[in-house]
Amino acid sequence: MRPLQTQLTAAEELKSYFSLFVRSLKANFAYRASTVTSLITAVFMYAVPLLVWRQVYSQNPGIAISKAKMFPYLLLACCVNYALGMSVEFRIGQRIRSGLIATDLLKPIDFQLSQGVQSVSDGLFNGALGVVVFLCGYMALGPDIFPASGLSFCLFLVSFLLAFLIQYFVCFVFVQGAFYTYSGYGIFAARGALHQTFSGMAAPLSLYPPFLKTAGEWLPFRHTIYTPVSIYMGWTQGEAAVSLILQQIAWVLGLWALGKILMVQSLKQLEVQGG
Amino acid sequence: METALHVENLSKSYQRRVRRPGLLGAVAGLFSSQMEELHAVKNISFSIKRGERVGLIGENGAGKSTTLKMLTGIIVPTGGKLEVLGRVPWRERRQLSLNIGVVFGQRPQLLWDIPVRETFRLLKTMYRIPDEVYQVTYPEAVRRLGLEPLLGTAVRQLSLGQRMRCDLAAALLHAPAITFLDEPTIGLDLSVKEQVREYIRDMQKRFGTTLLITTHDLKDITEVCDRLLLLDKGKLLFDGSIKDFVRRFANESRIVAELHQPATGPALKKIASEMKKYGGKIVASEGHKLIVEYRKEGAAPALTQILLKRQRVADLTLEKADIETIVTRIYRQPLASKGKIPT
Repeated sequence: MRPLQTQLTAAEELKSYFSLFVRSLKANFAYRASTVTSLITAVFMYAVPLLVWRQVYSQNPGIAISKAKMFPYLLLACCVNYALGMSVEFRIGQRIRSGLIATDLLKPIDFQLSQGVQSVSDGLFNGALGVVVFLCGYMALGPDIFPASGLSFCLFLVSFLLAFLIQYFVCFVFVQGAFYTYSGYGIFAARGALHQTFSGMAAPLSLYPPFLKTAGEWLPFRHTIYTPVSIYMGWTQGEAAVSLILQQIAWVLGLWALGKILMVQSLKQLEVQGG
Repeated sequence: METALHVENLSKSYQRRVRRPGLLGAVAGLFSSQMEELHAVKNISFSIKRGERVGLIGENGAGKSTTLKMLTGIIVPTGGKLEVLGRVPWRERRQLSLNIGVVFGQRPQLLWDIPVRETFRLLKTMYRIPDEVYQVTYPEAVRRLGLEPLLGTAVRQLSLGQRMRCDLAAALLHAPAITFLDEPTIGLDLSVKEQVREYIRDMQKRFGTTLLITTHDLKDITEVCDRLLLLDKGKLLFDGSIKDFVRRFANESRIVAELHQPATGPALKKIASEMKKYGGKIVASEGHKLIVEYRKEGAAPALTQILLKRQRVADLTLEKADIETIVTRIYRQPLASKGKIPT
C-alpha cells in the first residue's frame, strides 16, 4: 500500500501550473481554421472603428483629440484588447453547464490559479494576433504608434501586466454567477458590455460624457485598456502614471480576494449537473 | 485494518424550481419562484476499510453518483458527517485529491484538444508521481488497456470506449489510496469490459487501493468487488458481502424443463396442484418450455419427480437466482416492502 501523499510544495505547485500552461498553449493551436478566422477578425475589428473615426474626423475636425493621436490610440487599444482576450468565462461556463467542472475540482491545484494560467496561454495566443494588428497599423500610421519614451514603455509593460490580471479577475468574479444560473450567457454578455463601454476600447475615456466618465472612474474596466494605452502614449506620465498603476494594484488585490470569497460560496451550493 | 472512509447519516437535498409543461409553462417558469425539495441521499451510514473493494448499486436516481460526489468533495452534504482518509472532503478537497483517483464515466478528465500522452505527462507532474510508481503504472496501463495507438491522438477524436480506457488509466496513474469509479465500463464492448475489470482488479491488488464502484453492470461488481451497498431512492437498503447478499435474497430457485409435448389444460393444472404441496409454482409455460419456481430447501427432487412422472421431459436444469435476478426483483418491489429488507 502506498503511503499517503502530503500537500505539494510551492515549487511542485509551480511546476504543475507551468505544465498546465504549456498544454493549454498547445490546445490553443488545435483548431487551425479557427486560428485563421481569428486573425482575419483581428484585422477587421481594427479596420471598422478606424473607418468610422475617419468619417467622424472628416465631418468634425475640432475634436479634442487630434486625428494623429486618435488613430494610434485606437490601434493600441485594439492590440491590448487582443492580448486580454481569454476564454475563461466560456470555458468555466460550459464546464458548469455540462458538469465537467467536477473533473477540474478534483485536481490537486487551486482552481482560480489554474484557470488564470490557462488564461495567460489564451492571452499569449491572442497577443500574437495583436502583434499582427500592430504591424498592419505600423504600415498605415508609421512611427506614431511607438511609445512616447523608454520610461513610458517600461511603465506600460507593468500596467499591461496588471491590466491582464484585472481582466482575468473581473471575468472570474462574473463567472461565479454561472454557478447559480447554470447558463452564464447573460452574465458574460453584461460583463462584455461593461468592458466595451468603460475600458476605453472604442474611444479614449476623456471623450466620454461626464456621467459616463465618472461611472468609469469607479469601475475597474478603464484600467484594462485606457490606463496602459494612455501611459504608452505618454498622455499620463510621472506621478500620475504611478498613481494609476497603484490603483491597478489595488483593483488586482481586491478582485482576487473577491473571487476567492465568491468561489467558496459558489462551491457550497454547486450541483454537478447530469448524474 | 485502517478506515478509508466513514459516512454517518449523510444526506443531500436539492432545491428545484417547479417547471410546468409546455411552452407557456416554460415562459411562466421565468416568473415563478415555486421550489420543491428533492432528497437525493437520505441519512446513509457506512464505513469502508483500506484495501476493500466495494460496489455501490441502485436504480437510476438512487443517489449513487451524488454519494460519490460528496465523498470526493465536489459537492457539500446537507447533513451528516463524512471523512475520507481522515479528511472532510469538501473542506479539504485539494489535499484529498492527491490521494484519490476518480473516473466519472461520462465526464473525462483528459484535456480535450491535445493528445492523450500530454494529459498523462501533466498528471505525472500534478500528482507528483514518483518515477518508481510511474514506471509501473504507465506502461502497465498502456499495455493492459491497449493504449499505445491512442497516445498521440487528441482526446476529442477518440471513441467513447477509447476515451474510457484512457480516463481509467489517468485515474490510476498515481496509484491512489482510494479510487472512485462511477460507471467505469459504460460504453465499452464485452471484451474491453473484461480487460478493464481485470486491470482494475490487478492494480487494486498491487497497490492495495480501496475501490468504490458504482455501476449498472453487475458483472463489474461480482468480478471486482467483495462487498455490496444497495441504494434505493437515497436510502441504504443493504450493506454486506456479495455472498451474504446472494444467500439472503436468493431464496427462489427454478426448474426449467424442456418438454417433448407442450403441457396444457387439465394436464398442466394437475402438475400445478401436485407441485403446490412441495412449494412449487409454475411461473411460465411457453410452448415446450415449463418453468417452476420454489423456495423450500430440498424440494427439487420431489418437484422433478412430478414432472418426470407427468410429462416426457427432453431436458431439465436447476437454477439458483443470480445477483442480477435478485437485484432486478428488489428494484421492482414497491418501496414500502423494500424497507423491510433485512440488512
